[in-house]
Amino acid sequence: MGEKWRAAVPSILSVLLALVVCWIAIALTRDVKIAGEAYLQMLYGGLGQWPRYLEVGDGALLARPLGEAAGKAALLILTGLSVAVAFKAGLFNIGAQGQMVVGSLVAAVVGAQVSAPGPLHIPMALLAAALAGAAWALIAAALKLWRGVHEVISTIMLNWVAVSLVDNWLVVGPLRAAAGSGQSVSGTAEIHATARLPRLLGDISRLNLGFVVALLVALLVWVWLNRTRRGFETRAAGLGADAARAAGIPVKQRAAEAMAMAGALAGMAGAVLVLGTEFRYPGVLGAPYGFDGIAIALIGNSNPLGVTLTALFFGALRAGGTRMQLLGVHKSFPELIQGLALLFVAGRLVWLALLRKRRAVAAPAEVPRA
Amino acid sequence: MLEILEALLFSTLDAAPALIFATLGGVLSERAGVVNVGLEGQMRAGAFVAAVAALYMPTPLGVMVGMVAGAALASIHGYLSIRWRSDQVVSGMAINLVALAGGTFLLEALYSPNGTPPIAQLPRWKLPLIHDVPLLRALSDHPGLAYLALVLPFIFHAVLNHTAMGLRLRAVGEKPHAVATLGLSVPALRWGAVLGGGLLAGLGGAVLSTAVLDRFEQHTPAGLGFMALAAMVFGRWTPLGAFGAASFFAFGNALRIGLASSAPQILEVVPQGFLLALPYLLTLLLLTIQGQRSSAPAALGTPYEQESR
Repeated sequence: MGEKWRAAVPSILSVLLALVVCWIAIALTRDVKIAGEAYLQMLYGGLGQWPRYLEVGDGALLARPLGEAAGKAALLILTGLSVAVAFKAGLFNIGAQGQMVVGSLVAAVVGAQVSAPGPLHIPMALLAAALAGAAWALIAAALKLWRGVHEVISTIMLNWVAVSLVDNWLVVGPLRAAAGSGQSVSGTAEIHATARLPRLLGDISRLNLGFVVALLVALLVWVWLNRTRRGFETRAAGLGADAARAAGIPVKQRAAEAMAMAGALAGMAGAVLVLGTEFRYPGVLGAPYGFDGIAIALIGNSNPLGVTLTALFFGALRAGGTRMQLLGVHKSFPELIQGLALLFVAGRLVWLALLRKRRAVAAPAEVPRA
Repeated sequence: MLEILEALLFSTLDAAPALIFATLGGVLSERAGVVNVGLEGQMRAGAFVAAVAALYMPTPLGVMVGMVAGAALASIHGYLSIRWRSDQVVSGMAINLVALAGGTFLLEALYSPNGTPPIAQLPRWKLPLIHDVPLLRALSDHPGLAYLALVLPFIFHAVLNHTAMGLRLRAVGEKPHAVATLGLSVPALRWGAVLGGGLLAGLGGAVLSTAVLDRFEQHTPAGLGFMALAAMVFGRWTPLGAFGAASFFAFGNALRIGLASSAPQILEVVPQGFLLALPYLLTLLLLTIQGQRSSAPAALGTPYEQESR
C-alpha cells in the first residue's frame, strides 16, 4: 500500500464507521428492517436503480439518480476545494458559506440583468461569481495580514454579514423580482436561457455542465498545488511560515492568493447552484453547502483528489437521502453521517494508533516500542 | 423615552444570559489553551437535553441535566484534543456538525420536526423594592439565571486573577511546560477547563429553551454559539471583557427588535437586513481597530506534548 493511500485509510474507516453508527441509529429509532431498507433506498437514490434497470432497461432509472448525485457533488467539490486550498496555505476558511452566498447573488444578477450571446454568458457569470467570492474572502485575508484578526472569527462574522445583507435585504428588497401575472415571486428575477448551464443528457436527467466544470476545476487546483512553483510555495508557507520566509517565499502574498482562490472556488459553487439548478437566487439560500465544504475538505485530507472522491460519495449520499425520506427517515440523515465521519476523522490519530498496534501484532519481528 | 429605555434594558437582560454563559465557557476553555469552536454544538446539546429533561422533572433540574449534556459533548472534544492531540478547530467543528444533525434527527424521532412539546418555564423573580421604580423595574421579573449571569463574570474574574487555581489555569494556556515542571498535570487542568466550558455552554443553551422560550426549537441556538466565540475574542479572553462584549451583542439585538416594533418607519430608511448585519460588522470593525494578536493565550491551539520543549 503506497504512502498516499495509507493516508486515506483513517478517512475511509471513519466514513464506514459513521455509516454503521447511523444504521444503528435508524434501527433503534425505527426497526432493523427499515434500517436495511433505508440504506438500500439510499444506494438506489444515489447510484441508480440497477435492479429495476436490469428488469425494464429504461436508462432514465440510472441517469436520473446519478444526475442528482452529480449535481450535489459538483457543489461539494467546489466548496470542499475552497476550504482545502486555504488549508494548504495554513488558513482555516470557515467562510465558504458567505463567499458562496455572494457568488450566487452575483451569478443571479449577471444571469438576469446582462444580455450576452450564449457561449459568452455562462463564462461571464461564472467569472463574476468567482471574482465576487474572491473579493469577499480577501476581506478576511486583509484583516488577518494587516491587523492580526484571526480568520476563523472574521470569516464567521463575514458569513453572517453576507447572509443578513443578501437574504434579508437585497433579495427581498432592491433585487427582488418584479411580481408578474399575479403570482408572488420569491428571490431574484429568473436568469436568461443563455446563462443556464446546459443539461448533458437532455430531459432524462438534471445532470448539467456544472459537474464537468467542477471536475475540471479540481484538476486545475491539483496541478496548481502539485506541479507549479507557486503552489509549492503556498504549501510550504502553510507547513511552516517561518521556514518558508527564511527560504525567501513571500508568505503573506501566498496566503492572500490562497484565500482569494478559496473565495473564488466558493463563489463558483454559488454560480453552479444558480446557473445549473435554481435559475435565480432563491428566497433563501437554505442549504449550507459552504459548511459542508469544511467537512468534505477535512475528510478528503485537503487533497484535491481526496476532496473530489469525498464529494462524489457525499453527493450520492445526499441524492440517496431524498429517497430515504419515503421511508420516513429524516432528510438530514446524510448530514448526520457527514458530521459523524468528520468527528471520527478528527480522531485520525486514534485510527493511526490502532492501525500501528495491529501491524505490530501482525509483524512481531518489529522492534517493540518502549 | 424612559419607557423605551426600560424596555430595551429589559430585553437586553432577557437575551444576554445565554450569550454570557457560553462566552464564559469559551473563555474558560481557551485560557487553558484549548480552542473551543464547538460552543454552538454544546449549546445545542444543552438546550435540547434541558427541554427534554424538563418534560419529566422540575425545570431547574432539567437545566442541570442540560449542563451535563453540554459537558458530555465537550468531553469528546477533550478526549480528541487533549488525549489524542487532534486539531482542536477540526474537532470543534465536528462537534457542531454532529450536534446540528443529531439534534435534528433525535427531535424528529422523538417529537416533531419543529420542536419539543412546551415545558414549564423557569420562574421569574419579582424583586421587591425595585419592581415599582421606573427604569429600575427592568431589572426585575427575570429568571434567577439572569442574575447569576450578572454575578458570574465577576466571580470568574476574581478566581482567574486572584487565586492559585486561576493562576495555574492561565499558566496552562500560556506556558504548559512551566506548569508541568511544578509537578502539576497539564492534561488534568485542561480537562477541567474543557468540561467546565461545556457545562457553561450547556447552561447557555438551557437558558434558551427553558427561560427565553418554553421548548426546544429546531434552529436553537441559531448561531449564538458563534456569536459567543466572537464575544470572547472581542472581550480579549477575559471574564469581564466577555461580559461586556456579550451584553453589547445582546443590547444590539434588543435595539434591532425594539426599533422594528416601536418605530417601523425606521425600517423604510434602514433595511432590516442591514440592521441584522450591524452587530457582525461592528465586531469586525472593533477587532480591526484593536488588533488581537497580543491578547490570545500564548499556547492556544497547540497540543501539549510532554516530550517536546
